[in-house]
Amino acid sequence: MGSFSPKAFSARGRDDKKAGGAGGRGGAAGGKDQGKRYFFRRRKVCKFCADKIDYIDYKDVKLLGPFAPERGKILPRRMFGTCASHQRTLTLAIKRARSIALLPFAAE
Amino acid sequence: MSERVYEFLFIADPNLGEPEVDALTAQIQGYIEKENGKIQKAEKWGKKRLAYGVGRHREGSYVLLVAEGGAALVKEVERRMRVTDGVIKFITVRVDEELRKAEASKALRTAAEAKRRARPGASAPPAGPSVEEGY
Repeated sequence: MGSFSPKAFSARGRDDKKAGGAGGRGGAAGGKDQGKRYFFRRRKVCKFCADKIDYIDYKDVKLLGPFAPERGKILPRRMFGTCASHQRTLTLAIKRARSIALLPFAAE
Repeated sequence: MSERVYEFLFIADPNLGEPEVDALTAQIQGYIEKENGKIQKAEKWGKKRLAYGVGRHREGSYVLLVAEGGAALVKEVERRMRVTDGVIKFITVRVDEELRKAEASKALRTAAEAKRRARPGASAPPAGPSVEEGY
């Protein structure tokens, strides 16, 4: 089975590939390949890699807010597809924002 | 060695009027200058709702000061902010290293992009086969 399997392929791909168009096509082509085994699932791409945000500022509540919704919990990586290094810096930024009352520690 | 850059973000009592907040900011700027800190930026964010109650306050006026200086500066300014009435909360963050890192990764990326643009189509395909070989 030498068929092209973009799913595994793009997951192992390098950063610059992720940023390119390859990731977007991955889901659809994989579905055709594998029959009806998988639901269509959009490949999640790290927001910070995609938007080219180098410095995650703790003062930017608009940016951090969606990653700590409702109860103020920091969402796990699997929810947003944040890459490991950005998740780490994001976590630090959220914690800083909490300590200066820009974000809640817990919902009241 | 270049000096470190710190961000002093503090929350002033919401009951203070505009001129009083300005006076408080000037006072803290004075503390920084007394410790030989160089102020790079002073920013007033105005009154904002706090994410949680601090003492009996539900909102506060945020003021951001960015200054260059050493560790002694932070120690002294934090001590003074702690005893200053009107400052209900503060945070000091060292930013120079992180900004430098961000700058470096940005430079790296722009360089990579320039390379890709210089040889269109040449840099993208080679990445594919080399990954497939791994399976």
